[in-house]
Amino acid sequence: MEKIQLNKVLPNVFRGRALTGSDIWENDVCFEKGKFYLIEANSGTGKSSLCSFLYGYRNDYQGNIMFDNEDIARYPIAQWVELRKQHLALLWQELRLFPELTAWENVQIKNQMTKFQTDLQIAQWFDLLGIGDKRDALIGRMSYGQQQRVALIRTLCQPADFIFADEPISHLDEQNSQLMADLLTQEAKRQGAAVIATSIGKRLELKYDTTFKL
Amino acid sequence: MNLVWKLLKQHISKPQFAGFFLANLVGMLIILLGVQFYQDAMNAYNGKDGFMKEDYLIVSKKVSTLGNTIFKQSTGFRKDELAQLEEQDFVDKVGAFTPSNFKVRAGLNLMGFSRMSTDMFFESVPDEFVDTDQSWSFKEGDQFIPIILPRDYLDLYNFGFAQSKNLPSISEGLATSVTLDITIKGNGREDHFDGRIVGFTNRLNTLLVPQAFMEWANKTYATGKKVEHSRAILKVKNPTDENLARYLQNHNYQTDSSKLNSSKTAYVLRIVLGIVMAVGVVICLLAFYILMLSIYLLIQKNSNKLEDLMLLGYSPSAVARPYQTLSIGMNIAVLAMGLVAVWSIRSYYIGKMESFFPNYEGANATTTLLVGLGLFALVSAFNYLLTARKMKTIWKRED
Repeated sequence: MEKIQLNKVLPNVFRGRALTGSDIWENDVCFEKGKFYLIEANSGTGKSSLCSFLYGYRNDYQGNIMFDNEDIARYPIAQWVELRKQHLALLWQELRLFPELTAWENVQIKNQMTKFQTDLQIAQWFDLLGIGDKRDALIGRMSYGQQQRVALIRTLCQPADFIFADEPISHLDEQNSQLMADLLTQEAKRQGAAVIATSIGKRLELKYDTTFKL
Repeated sequence: MNLVWKLLKQHISKPQFAGFFLANLVGMLIILLGVQFYQDAMNAYNGKDGFMKEDYLIVSKKVSTLGNTIFKQSTGFRKDELAQLEEQDFVDKVGAFTPSNFKVRAGLNLMGFSRMSTDMFFESVPDEFVDTDQSWSFKEGDQFIPIILPRDYLDLYNFGFAQSKNLPSISEGLATSVTLDITIKGNGREDHFDGRIVGFTNRLNTLLVPQAFMEWANKTYATGKKVEHSRAILKVKNPTDENLARYLQNHNYQTDSSKLNSSKTAYVLRIVLGIVMAVGVVICLLAFYILMLSIYLLIQKNSNKLEDLMLLGYSPSAVARPYQTLSIGMNIAVLAMGLVAVWSIRSYYIGKMESFFPNYEGANATTTLLVGLGLFALVSAFNYLLTARKMKTIWKRED
């Protein structure tokens, strides 16, 4: 997949409301593979809605979203399954980890399906992000900052053309944020993938090509 | 362990599934036992009979001393009487017996021991009433005539004639491999044929040959003689029908009452087993309902996990699979246990049957197995489809 276009997209809940100064809503925007984008937003401006629209999770919007010039509104289930496995990686703001499983199992449940990373690679990332000793801990017993790092590793366990990161470092300190930014940059460059990060204040430090205001 | 299963087995309620399992097992057992018992019981009533299917009755006119013996009135059915019978609501089909109007002599050459020969007669009924797996046909020029013999005749020979004359007994199998020398005389002609017994019947005291042979032979050896139909065979819808009994009485017809009684018994047995099996079906339906409710509840309780799995890239059918495997696995277990239970119960009653009816042979198990497999397939297919459909509603977040 090479590009994502938004043509006059507006979440239905914003309809009839006067929006001022959004670079995205009701505009024509294009995200291209290989570039890094930052979307800065205030709370309540529809940041998570945008991620949900792009991931086929919600479709309560007006306007058109196009993947490589195809309107995604009519994509069948099978196509979304394929996109989520092979082309689009999303690190959810609410993480969506399984509290019943350990940190390691939460990553494996993705990697078993895609078989994209080796166990060795995953173990190295655990160590790199400073949670190597937490591999067998239940997610429910880990801090939110630790969970964010597990979720990032899981996000990287698939091939991707676009990697969305919805407020990935909200609960991390400077040092860990930098580690995450480095890892994300390295993996995105390796695959030639685009990164689209969002932030409501604390921004992930990448070399952004474009910054949008939501 | 499979991680998806580890997640999705959360909230499984063992009591609910045990309830389903037990209920479905009871329902399945009732249905399968009903099917098997019906067949076993029918075998006890019917035995193997080369001639008659169920629900056939043979009627004749009553013979009266004054009318028939002294004044030689005909005991045959007239065409209009047969037509009237056919018009009755309780009758499906009517076939008239055709007697032979020529002389028949049959000889038996038994391994060179003895040559016996006797005068006989033949009768025929339309072929559609004959139920034999042997060839039952004749065309002009054929040398071979298939014959169905009353079992009583063989008994008469084995237990009366052969014993008193020190002759060997003949089994049914041997009798069917022996060729009879048939001589037919009439119209100034005399011809020889080979007769072969192709079956035995308990229900009819006559020597039955194919209708085609009879028509040809009556034409050839008894030209011009009027054919009288002294008996008729009826296929009835319900042998216990009062109208049937009343009709036969009003017209002074008689029928083989033991056959009528066994038909009545079979009819009642069918009704009783029908009711029992209907109860089994209802129990199975309720069990199915319990299972589907449990699975829906389980899916509902795990809906957040299912949604997250699908957002990770698992397809709705992939996350439906653990639940489908679970329900189909339970259905297999129910089927297997049901069949085992049917067999152990059956071995108990078969022993009793064998002591009631000598020569009793149980029915085979194919039908029961097929009914069991059919039920399993039906229930499993519905489990599968409904679960898959439910997953799609989770995907679409329609609840």
